[in-house]
Amino acid sequence: MKKQIKLAATLLMATPLVLLTSCGGDEPVEEVVEEVVEEVVEERNEEYYQIPSPDEMFGFIKESGLKFNGELLNDIQASSSYTEPTKQAMNFGIYSADLAYTAAYEEFNETTKYFGTIQKMAEPIGISSAFDKTLIERAQSNLDNADSLVAITNTSYFAVVDYLDQNQQGDKLGIIAASGWLETVYIVANTANYDNDKAAIDRLADQRLTLDNLIDYFAKYEERAEVKEIAGWLNELEAVFAVSENESEESGSGISFKKKDDGKMVLGGSSESKSSSISKDQFEAIKSKVNEIRNKIISTEEA
Amino acid sequence: MKFISKIVLITAIVLSPAISNGQYCNYFHSKYCQPSENDMFKLNGQSKSALFSKGQTSELNIIVYKGQDYRISLCMDENLGSQIQFKIYETKKVKVEKVFETKTEEDEYKPCGDCNGEGMMDGESCYTCEGEGQTATGETIEVVDKETKIVTEKRKELLYDNSQDGFSTEIEFTVESTRRLTIEVTVPGGGSGGGKSKGKMMKSSDMGCVGLLVEHMTTPISGFKGTGF
Repeated sequence: MKKQIKLAATLLMATPLVLLTSCGGDEPVEEVVEEVVEEVVEERNEEYYQIPSPDEMFGFIKESGLKFNGELLNDIQASSSYTEPTKQAMNFGIYSADLAYTAAYEEFNETTKYFGTIQKMAEPIGISSAFDKTLIERAQSNLDNADSLVAITNTSYFAVVDYLDQNQQGDKLGIIAASGWLETVYIVANTANYDNDKAAIDRLADQRLTLDNLIDYFAKYEERAEVKEIAGWLNELEAVFAVSENESEESGSGISFKKKDDGKMVLGGSSESKSSSISKDQFEAIKSKVNEIRNKIISTEEA
Repeated sequence: MKFISKIVLITAIVLSPAISNGQYCNYFHSKYCQPSENDMFKLNGQSKSALFSKGQTSELNIIVYKGQDYRISLCMDENLGSQIQFKIYETKKVKVEKVFETKTEEDEYKPCGDCNGEGMMDGESCYTCEGEGQTATGETIEVVDKETKIVTEKRKELLYDNSQDGFSTEIEFTVESTRRLTIEVTVPGGGSGGGKSKGKMMKSSDMGCVGLLVEHMTTPISGFKGTGF
């Protein structure tokens, strides 16, 4: 960030030189603008933690045969009941994931409603600029086109992420991304049957890695009161996921990039056969904890 | 001159929020990184663009899922050069046993047996302790307590280094088991400090955007099991 401010300072310093040059007289004078910033620069290596967007999960579970369950969606009528800013951000994340869920399953009527809801909620959260006119018009004219709709819901999600990221609202972004992620886990955990949906259960078990990214992301904002609550819930959830970890303590994973005969690179290795899945008890424990957290998020102030 | 000053001021006011908000590199990866020619690949939300200065290193932590193909490509402003290094590590949290030492100063004691069971011990003198128990010598000694605890540590294992691959700016791979990867991007230059230098003068020509485009698709099944023709 500091460096971005440096660049701004550089450009601002360069601007007067350019303007003054253009007013220099009749003869066109070419001047080289030397962009030296008279500031001490302290370089800092940045670490970014990315969270897969909800559509990736829903695209996968749809392919793996899980059916759509509209009862799992958070009721859009509740959206106006969220008046506290952190709660609004959390439920914006929940509704964004619900939007991605309905779009992935081509539930067009629901998608329209959820798109309208997040658009409305964006205003009090201060991110309505992320929904520009073109995006809304594109959404409205493609409400019956499945591929376009998924693309548009993604665009709106990425627009929000970019907007918050570029405007130094990383704490709010974390709250939205974490809540959106929790909603995807909630939907998968409450749709998948442990005995019949192995691919979905494996994907659910893999979420402990995404959870690690989220927890590391929040470490940067641990002093902020707004994130403490959700960060605490994620830590509780990590403890439930951790039961399923059986990683070798000292040894490496043994994975590597290998080139196959057809020239394709494969990320795999000795541990690829190791099941990352979870026992039925662990699945129930994760489901129960996620349901508990999700209920806290969606509960309205009056409740 | 006053007029020019006003223009400068207005330009500064208009430009500063946009630039200081860091939007300079916004969407750089979507605009400038060449996407795959394979239409099956979709933009992955873990893509990222950022402003880099020469000599800087940054890390992007992403999740890659089993059963998916990924393509990661890098693009950058020309002034940063073409030999940007990117390394891919696997990041894991592992539980390790660690021994924690606690040092404390405690009173030194001597066994009463040191006075042959006769008399009592008081400092160097023995009285009636009859060789049992202990008595303080009046000195202190350093006592080290050791406690073994299980702690979680983050470990990184290098999987790919593009400097060993002709500074390739893209890699495409199939994932056989879900992993948490760290992509470390280093822009060369920036003097001998290698990114850790402090207090140096910075030119805007030493800075530029780097985009990391991540694309994904479901791994295609080949052979008669697959989609077939």
